[in-house]
Amino acid sequence: MQDKQFMRETLIEGAKAYKAGRMQRRTFIALLGMAGFGAATLSPRAADAAADRIVLWNWGGQSEECHGNAIGKPFTAATGIPLAFDTSGPLQGKIKEMVDSGNVTADVCDGDLFDAVALGQTGHLEAIDYDVVDRAKTLPGYALDFGVSVILYGYAFVYDTKAYGDNPPNSWADFFDTAKFPGKRSLYKWANGSLEAALMADGVAKDALYPLDLPRALAKIKSIKDDSIYWGSGSEAHSMVVNGEVSMGMVWQNRGRNIEQDTDGRYKLVMNEALAMPGAYIVPRGNPGGREAVMKFIAAAQSVPAQLELFDCLGMTPSNPEAFAQLPTDGQPYAITSAENINRVAYNDPHWWGNNTDEAVNGFLDAIS
Amino acid sequence: MAHTPAIPLQARNMWRYLPRGGWLLVAPLMVLVLGLFLGPLTNIMVISVTDPKPGLGNYAALFQSDALGGILWTTLRVCVLTTAISVTLGYCIAHAMIHALARERNWMLSLLLVSFWISVLVRTFSWLMLLGRNGLVNNGLEAIGLITQPIEFMRNELGVLIGMVHYMVPYAVLPLLASMQTIDARVLAASRNLGASPAQTFWRVYLPLTRPGLVAAALLVFILSLGFYVTPAILGGGKVLMVAEYISVQILVTLRWGTAAMLAVLMLGGVLGLLFVMSRFMKLSTVFGGTKP
Amino acid sequence: MTQPSAQTHQGSAPYEGLRLNGLTKRFGRFTAVDGVDLHIRRGEFLTLLGPSGSGKTTLLMMIAGFQDISAGDIALDGHSITTVPAEKRNFGMVFQGYALFPHMSVRDNIAYPLSVRKRPHAEITARVDEMLELVQLTKFDTRLPGQLSGGQQQRVALARALCFAPPVLLLDEPLGALDKKLRIEVQAQLKAIHQRVGTTFIYVTHDQEEALSMSDRVVIMQNGRIEQLGTPQELYQRPATQFAASFLGKSNFLHCSDGLYALRPEKIDICPATQTAGAPLGPHRTTAVVHSVTYFGSILSYTVALPDGTTLQVDVDAWRGGPTLDRGAQVTLDWPDEAAVKLAPDTP
Repeated sequence: MQDKQFMRETLIEGAKAYKAGRMQRRTFIALLGMAGFGAATLSPRAADAAADRIVLWNWGGQSEECHGNAIGKPFTAATGIPLAFDTSGPLQGKIKEMVDSGNVTADVCDGDLFDAVALGQTGHLEAIDYDVVDRAKTLPGYALDFGVSVILYGYAFVYDTKAYGDNPPNSWADFFDTAKFPGKRSLYKWANGSLEAALMADGVAKDALYPLDLPRALAKIKSIKDDSIYWGSGSEAHSMVVNGEVSMGMVWQNRGRNIEQDTDGRYKLVMNEALAMPGAYIVPRGNPGGREAVMKFIAAAQSVPAQLELFDCLGMTPSNPEAFAQLPTDGQPYAITSAENINRVAYNDPHWWGNNTDEAVNGFLDAIS
Repeated sequence: MAHTPAIPLQARNMWRYLPRGGWLLVAPLMVLVLGLFLGPLTNIMVISVTDPKPGLGNYAALFQSDALGGILWTTLRVCVLTTAISVTLGYCIAHAMIHALARERNWMLSLLLVSFWISVLVRTFSWLMLLGRNGLVNNGLEAIGLITQPIEFMRNELGVLIGMVHYMVPYAVLPLLASMQTIDARVLAASRNLGASPAQTFWRVYLPLTRPGLVAAALLVFILSLGFYVTPAILGGGKVLMVAEYISVQILVTLRWGTAAMLAVLMLGGVLGLLFVMSRFMKLSTVFGGTKP
Repeated sequence: MTQPSAQTHQGSAPYEGLRLNGLTKRFGRFTAVDGVDLHIRRGEFLTLLGPSGSGKTTLLMMIAGFQDISAGDIALDGHSITTVPAEKRNFGMVFQGYALFPHMSVRDNIAYPLSVRKRPHAEITARVDEMLELVQLTKFDTRLPGQLSGGQQQRVALARALCFAPPVLLLDEPLGALDKKLRIEVQAQLKAIHQRVGTTFIYVTHDQEEALSMSDRVVIMQNGRIEQLGTPQELYQRPATQFAASFLGKSNFLHCSDGLYALRPEKIDICPATQTAGAPLGPHRTTAVVHSVTYFGSILSYTVALPDGTTLQVDVDAWRGGPTLDRGAQVTLDWPDEAAVKLAPDTP
């Protein structure tokens, strides 16, 4: 292990030197050869990241282009550090595996704030440097030791105006009432959002959700199980609605506008009682680009123009209060933090989820299968 | 002349040493393969008894948790049904191919092999478009007035079975085809000549003679089915949770690696156990295309 | 099953056996069997003899019901069975390569025709025991076919085909896979079994010795047609055509002014010219020169050249035929009138 670590550092130094023009290409390759099989797991990307480059680990799709424009461009302009992407999706298990294996290839993960709680406790993350990152540029309670929320997304639902046009549903209670609103429902398969929606439908106040009463939530979920199908990805949620498989579908709020457009307005988004989720930037421990650079990157993501551009590009809602008032008028109905929505949405508790994900998810899977 | 006996002696020595030399030649590869294969496997076994704490707690959970039992039962049920349907359909297809003209058989074989190239995701979404709530079939049936409510083909266990069987049928056909090709047509003629009806000939001669192919097809389909992830996840509408998806969730989302490793070991043990039981009843070499006993 | 009164009324024999009327099989433009008329008597051992491609196997398969019939009719005991499927004809058959069921024991193989007919268990056991004894395989009843020798397999196939007492047993080159010594042994066994069971045997072979040694009657086939039909003696002594004469045994052919004659090599007398010097020349007496001598153990076979250049085969009993004549020796040949058989022209 020690030897391998030494070779790795030598290589990273070499990569930096090569990049800075202090080392011949041939020498660098010879160094790579010397490192041999043991260092083969060190991908070029790791060396590149070490050579003053920030790797953002996100979920692919449009987000590469959007993050590149909104955050990458101004960040590179200000620091000279380029932004690169790993679009394989930073699930908790993958971050843990990456850090445990000692082969960290990403600098910052586009994760959830509850990931910051869970992985922060187990020592898999770098602490956020609040001398560089601004606690005030996010919602209160969403600036944590090991992660800070830079955007918000949410669990809302869409309904079929053709089925319920005269008396449209407006709450999770309506969503779970299949007698009054007959038809199929779709819910998120991995529990979060779905549990909160069930509790609100069952009469729990939106600011008294946590700690979640799991048995009560699961009972409510089971009550409409025969009419429910469950999705595991945003595109699946989207297609379930657009293909008319469901009359009401839980979706990620940022997809709401697309769904309304794709169905020519047949399906309509309901933001009342939507659950706001703090999307967070978290840093795997031992990130190749170093702590200093990555904190600058996170700070850049907090800026008002970056946040507004992300909203425009991905529909992710700004978490920086300064940006709330500057949301474009036509986007406000779809934004969690717009004036019309900010007080009628519920807010996710990253601490509860950071400590209870396993029980919640497994309990949920058991309930629906 | 005195040297003559030395030649066979040398030859004998060569025969004695050649196998050892042969093993030496493949040894580096063997070590590499075993290392790359057994290393991670051992790691998984170790995790299953050490995470989150040392002991057999993960295995004990099998008997304590209804949820785990439910998942294993679902997996077993879906896999057994998939195997039964795929092998039955595969048998019919292989039989039709054997009795088709050579040119038609080549066409059928090409079509069968082409289906191997279609990704599981594409197949899955194609089934949704075909048999979904607003799919071609349901819309068509509604349009001609045969049904008023869409038939629930998809987003349930039926959907999972349809998707999995579709994927698995070619895997069932190939071993069956190979086994049917070895049957001497005269044996079937003899059965007819001796007074057996076509049904008797099938049950008493044809089916027993294709048994090695049947067993191979069933084993192949069953073992592959155990690892199915995408098809049940999507076509099951989230309600048909099979062990492969559950393992993935335990690794990626809930971080219960011990549970995941335990289930993986269980699956591996189950498959090895199955092969062992089969080997008690018949020579596996005949199943996997070895020489006849 | 048979209707003796009706048949007697029609003036036929008490039982008819198998009658083929104008039986024809075409594969596209190729005619494999061409209008065969044949009456196979009940209980006889009839051999279909011919080279490969002569239509003998196709004819057998038509009788068995495995081959559709393009034209014509097959009747058993006066009843047409042309449309009866193979499994309902109740004809036993011994296949080329035996076609035993490899997954069944010898006993189960032999019991198969009875068990598919759902006969009582006790009857099956008794009958199979009887058949095992008939083919002398009682000790092998639990073996699988793969554990038997070729000759034993052949006997299992025979027992299986005879087990349900079929009125007709069809044998498709059943000895083809055996070596020569075993073949002669099995020929005798087959003949003995035929005599014991009394079933009609229809036997297909391309081996003339088999045909001669076992058959009551032989059908020589050529190009899908019957070339000649008769007892082995009739066919050998009085071949009808050049093909029949050459296919069954060896023959010399003599072109005379009134046609073609067949002359079997063993019917020619041969002696050194010196011994007959001065004797008057008979009608067939001729001189010749020995071209070559081949020794076959029991016979010596000479090739001799006549003065006009034609060559003849002459076979002599090696033991009684006197001293061997050398190559180049002057000889005198002679044969009785009845030794040469006038042939009809071959069918095209």
